[in-house]
Amino acid sequence: MFTVESLLVVTVVMPLAAAVLTALVGPRLLRSQSHWPTILALAISLTASLLLVWQVTQEAAATLSARENQPVPSAERREHPLGYERIVTLWTWSGGGLPEHGAGSAQQEEDPLGPPPIIEVSLRADPLTAIMLATVTVISLLVAIYSVGYMHGDPGYWRFYSYIALFVFSMCMLVSVSNFLLLYVFWEAVGLCSYLLIGFWYQRPAAAAAGKKAFLVNRVGDFGFALGVFLLWMSYGTLNFHDVQTAGQTQPGILGQTFLQQPEHYVGGAVGTAIALLLMAGACGKSAQWPLHVWLPDAMEGPTPVSALIHAATMVTAGVYLTARCLPLFLAAPVAPLVVACIGGGTALLAALIALTQTDLKRILAYSTISQLGYMFLAVGTGTVLGVTAGMFHLFTHAFFKALLFLAAGSVMHAMGGVIDLRQFGGLRRHLPWTHTTMLFGCLALAGVVPFAGFWSKDAILLAVGQQEGMVYQVLGWTATATAFLTAFYTFRAFFLCFYGPERIPEEAGDHVHEGPAWMIGPLVVLAAGSLVVGAYFEWTHGFAHFLGQTPSLCLTGLAQEGPRAEMISHSTVAVGSSLVALAGIGLAGLVYLGPRSLLEGLTRTSSAVGLYGLSYGKFFFDEIYQAVVVQPFWALARLCGWLDDRAIDGAVDGIGTLPRGLGALFRSLQMGFTPFYALAMILGVLVLLGALMTG
Amino acid sequence: MTEAGARVLLLVSVVSPLAGALVLGRDRVRARQSALATSLFTLVLCVLVIAAYPPGAKEFARVSLPWASGASSAPTAPVVSFSLALDGLSLWLYGLTALLGVVGVLISWEAIQEEAARFYRCWLLLETGMLGVFLAQDILLFYVFFEFTLVPLFVLIGVWGSEQRQYAAVKFFLFTLAGSVLTFLGLLAMVLWVYVQTNRLTFSIPDLTEYLQNLHGGDRMPLSLQLVIFWALFAGFAIKVPLFPLHTWLPLAHVEAPAAGSVVLAGVLLKVGGYGFLRFNIPMLPEATAVSAPYLLILSVAGIVYGALVALAQKDIKRLIAYSSISHLGFCLMGIFALNRSGGQGGVLQMLNHGLSTGALFALVGMIYERYHTRQIADLGGLARKLPWLAFFMVLASLASIGLPGLNGFVGEFLALWGMFHRAWSDAPVEWVLLYRILSVLALSGVILGAWYMLWMVERVFFGPLREPLHEVTGQPPASAGEGEPYCSPGGHGASGADGLEGAGWRDSASSPSSAVSGEDLCGREILALAPLGLLMLWIGVYPKFFLDRIGPTVEELSAPAARLLLEGREVPTGLCCGETNLSSPPSNPFGSNHVFKAGPGLVYRGAN
Repeated sequence: MFTVESLLVVTVVMPLAAAVLTALVGPRLLRSQSHWPTILALAISLTASLLLVWQVTQEAAATLSARENQPVPSAERREHPLGYERIVTLWTWSGGGLPEHGAGSAQQEEDPLGPPPIIEVSLRADPLTAIMLATVTVISLLVAIYSVGYMHGDPGYWRFYSYIALFVFSMCMLVSVSNFLLLYVFWEAVGLCSYLLIGFWYQRPAAAAAGKKAFLVNRVGDFGFALGVFLLWMSYGTLNFHDVQTAGQTQPGILGQTFLQQPEHYVGGAVGTAIALLLMAGACGKSAQWPLHVWLPDAMEGPTPVSALIHAATMVTAGVYLTARCLPLFLAAPVAPLVVACIGGGTALLAALIALTQTDLKRILAYSTISQLGYMFLAVGTGTVLGVTAGMFHLFTHAFFKALLFLAAGSVMHAMGGVIDLRQFGGLRRHLPWTHTTMLFGCLALAGVVPFAGFWSKDAILLAVGQQEGMVYQVLGWTATATAFLTAFYTFRAFFLCFYGPERIPEEAGDHVHEGPAWMIGPLVVLAAGSLVVGAYFEWTHGFAHFLGQTPSLCLTGLAQEGPRAEMISHSTVAVGSSLVALAGIGLAGLVYLGPRSLLEGLTRTSSAVGLYGLSYGKFFFDEIYQAVVVQPFWALARLCGWLDDRAIDGAVDGIGTLPRGLGALFRSLQMGFTPFYALAMILGVLVLLGALMTG
Repeated sequence: MTEAGARVLLLVSVVSPLAGALVLGRDRVRARQSALATSLFTLVLCVLVIAAYPPGAKEFARVSLPWASGASSAPTAPVVSFSLALDGLSLWLYGLTALLGVVGVLISWEAIQEEAARFYRCWLLLETGMLGVFLAQDILLFYVFFEFTLVPLFVLIGVWGSEQRQYAAVKFFLFTLAGSVLTFLGLLAMVLWVYVQTNRLTFSIPDLTEYLQNLHGGDRMPLSLQLVIFWALFAGFAIKVPLFPLHTWLPLAHVEAPAAGSVVLAGVLLKVGGYGFLRFNIPMLPEATAVSAPYLLILSVAGIVYGALVALAQKDIKRLIAYSSISHLGFCLMGIFALNRSGGQGGVLQMLNHGLSTGALFALVGMIYERYHTRQIADLGGLARKLPWLAFFMVLASLASIGLPGLNGFVGEFLALWGMFHRAWSDAPVEWVLLYRILSVLALSGVILGAWYMLWMVERVFFGPLREPLHEVTGQPPASAGEGEPYCSPGGHGASGADGLEGAGWRDSASSPSSAVSGEDLCGREILALAPLGLLMLWIGVYPKFFLDRIGPTVEELSAPAARLLLEGREVPTGLCCGETNLSSPPSNPFGSNHVFKAGPGLVYRGAN
């Protein structure tokens, strides 16, 4: 009953059922009870995904021991696959064409029409998928419960839950499909849900514009992704991750056993690099990395639970998932991992710098998300198993504490009557004790203080980067440490401004500032507990890295299991160092924002003098630059084309249209009805004719 | 159902709109009821025939009646027959025509007030013409139906259109006619050439295809003649598509046409172009196709990008959608002229997709116009709050049209792009490799631009604060607009069964008290018109195999000869009787080696092991 296959399908299908059910009966029947289908479905999904993790753990361990007990590893290597994977094929999406032209055709001569576009809808279960599914379902269930309180009374209540369930379905499919085309399909599908949910309050022009911006910036990334997918198809002749057995033949999948065991067959060189970088372009769009990071801060126009679920914990991590999943493709291209690491490290620093001066609590958190995603890319960009597992570990812990921070911010917003500007309120800790405490947990985790979750995963990343040789990774290691300091500073800046200092409450909040209902507090407490324990638990049991290491992509033959300098940097050095950095950041924030006023003013004045403050506050002016360099030129081109179409092309057509009329006018002028003219013309004609005859 | 039964239904389905047009009632209400009944009847027949179509078949339900061949049985006697058949190319276009026939009646229900009986008569005549074009298996019959569609649409635009309707109608008519005369000459030239070669005067499309593909031995048509005929056919079909830069009649005709006219114009009539290329140019003139394909691909991709850019600059919703059509049909032709399996399937599916999504978009614009008497984007805003159903369908159709996965547009665009990429990166003729690769990337960029203009339009019209034009009924109503009549007549008329759905809006809060009809959301009749389109969009998006299985075999057969030429790099035959020069192929091996794109050792694995 609880086979891997059935658990996988149940996990994925339940949210879809909830989305359809809510859309059908929500507006009329359920109304203010519209949350029930989604919450129940997500609870079932969560249970199924946890069982799935358990089942996969068991079976992966069995596979591993079978492989290790094998006497001679070379000859019959094929018998025991690398890692653990299970494939469920649901239906054939497209596979037009005559049967005799099918993939398994025996005809030798090349088909003039090219290969048939066979795409099968197949899901996979492996450790990477199982972890992603568990993360997605647990966070989404908590967010769904929280939203009962937060979205209460909203006119689009049922619509909200329908979208959320649709999103969870798309996200679950994204992490469990076993084909690049389907990955692209659900990649865009989560983008659609994001578009719909950012623009959920569509009457607000800012929300509608932000939704469109998110969709378009993502489309730019997806353009690269699609190009990469086409190049993959051209290079490998398939888009499947897994090997497919048809009629006794193996059609090797891109991330399947055949290639993993002989990684020298991966396409390298210019094409391999292009593939890896184009996939990274897609990842940059979805995960809001430089240069496509501009949409995420604007996406905060959506309801706060959406920000927590989609734009912090789950959807934006899809890019990290993609790079982790496609690690072999990145390793095949020499410079690609380095590029990933540089984009990640650079974005982490950039976003942290911007977050220093923002005044909108949610936007601070958004930049912090961008920064933390940068950490994950940095880790995956090391191209080692250690790095990838560290990146995925950070993804996992980040989901908890970032969702917590957003939901806490939502709780503040709820109490403040929708105001989220840190300049308009402060000193709220007495009014919002629960929010204050849980948010403190989240901030400590984000800053990376022992023993909170963020500490363990951030340390793993710093360790993985530090173990890489080469100048660039050294610089990136220092960048990451500096970013850790900035992170601690801006996190506690926001925290202190919000909860400490003189009590200030905006007019919108009304007289009686109070905590949200239990629906909202419950998830906060659960997430706070998670932020405290998940990191330490997995670190001590070594369970996470060990489990994730059973993913086929990470079992690539010849892949470095440890960095080359494992002995030189010990875990404790990194841990102590980063703890000190984090505590320094928190201390400085406390000093500046709780200490004497003059310190803050001095700091502001100094940084303004060197231009840093303006740059940070202006978000490094990326929006303005893109507007001037990309959007406006396209506009001008579009207007030019519009004008040309009206005048030049249509004008030419109309010109041709007047030609017959012009000719008619020309000949009409000859028909003047003046008889001597006709006679003259006739005589002239006869003379010409005679002349012609005589000379001929 | 047996094939014999399908034959009867096929024949009846073509004739029934014509019969319906003849017996149409006089007054408006009677006329529209009988028009609806007729088109519904036709649709039911079409659905039955399509259901009987076996997947994997290359042809189905051929009906062949002698028409003008006379009693003579001599081999030289001209063979003209009233011959109809379905195949994978025509199947979905045939179904689409019947479906849009019903949709058009439903959306004209209230919009057409004056001379309604004549309107519906024209409508049904048009439907017969369109059904016939796709089914005709005889060149003369094809041309008769082809021209037959022209006149009713000319009347529809010229009489029931907006302000500039007469200019638009004349321009449409002359443009199309000019092209189709050349096309006809090209078709006749093929017939004559076969007559000269075989001493058999046949107009049958399958026979001609066989002769011209040289299946019976004998001389091949010289390349120079093929090229002349190819470009003569091109004139008519490219204007129909319309291919850049022959498109300027289209925005005008769309803007001026009544909503139903725009729907069939975009949904069906534009498809005649792509259909013609695939029915005549590619199978009958394979050498010329192989030589000309690069130029067609350049024009298609230029159309994709150019159409999208111009659409971005539009201020009128209908013009915007019209230009988006140019962009989308660029994808169709690109897929078709990629001359491979995925491209062909994608191109043909994209024709169906475009008919569904753009048809729905034009219908929706018509509904907005009925309510507000404006199509200017700047006049409208925030309609989603007031017209949630309309906004829902608009967003759905827009998403389908920008190729969102899970809806139909994605499948077609993706397959067409796949075909183009395959052609560019694996099978490109040597001298075109670089250009092909640039084209493939440019075409893909059309996907970004498409999202830009559609979502921007949706944002401005449907989101943000509510903005409605100060609309007075007595202002300056266009010729077609009715005054004072409620826009949703209580469900008494016809078979639309509006009661159940009426007022089923998903209004979130208490809807604003609107005294004017301008604020009414979609009524049941309108939802009934749009729902089938929406369901089909979803169906094609989720399970395209059902559709592709029926398209595939025919399209493969049609484009295989030309594709084979490209693959074999065969020396195209030089001129034999019509001029000795070989127009455009260089003396050396023109199509060179295949697989110039060497993908490294990974390719070793394709099908190995």
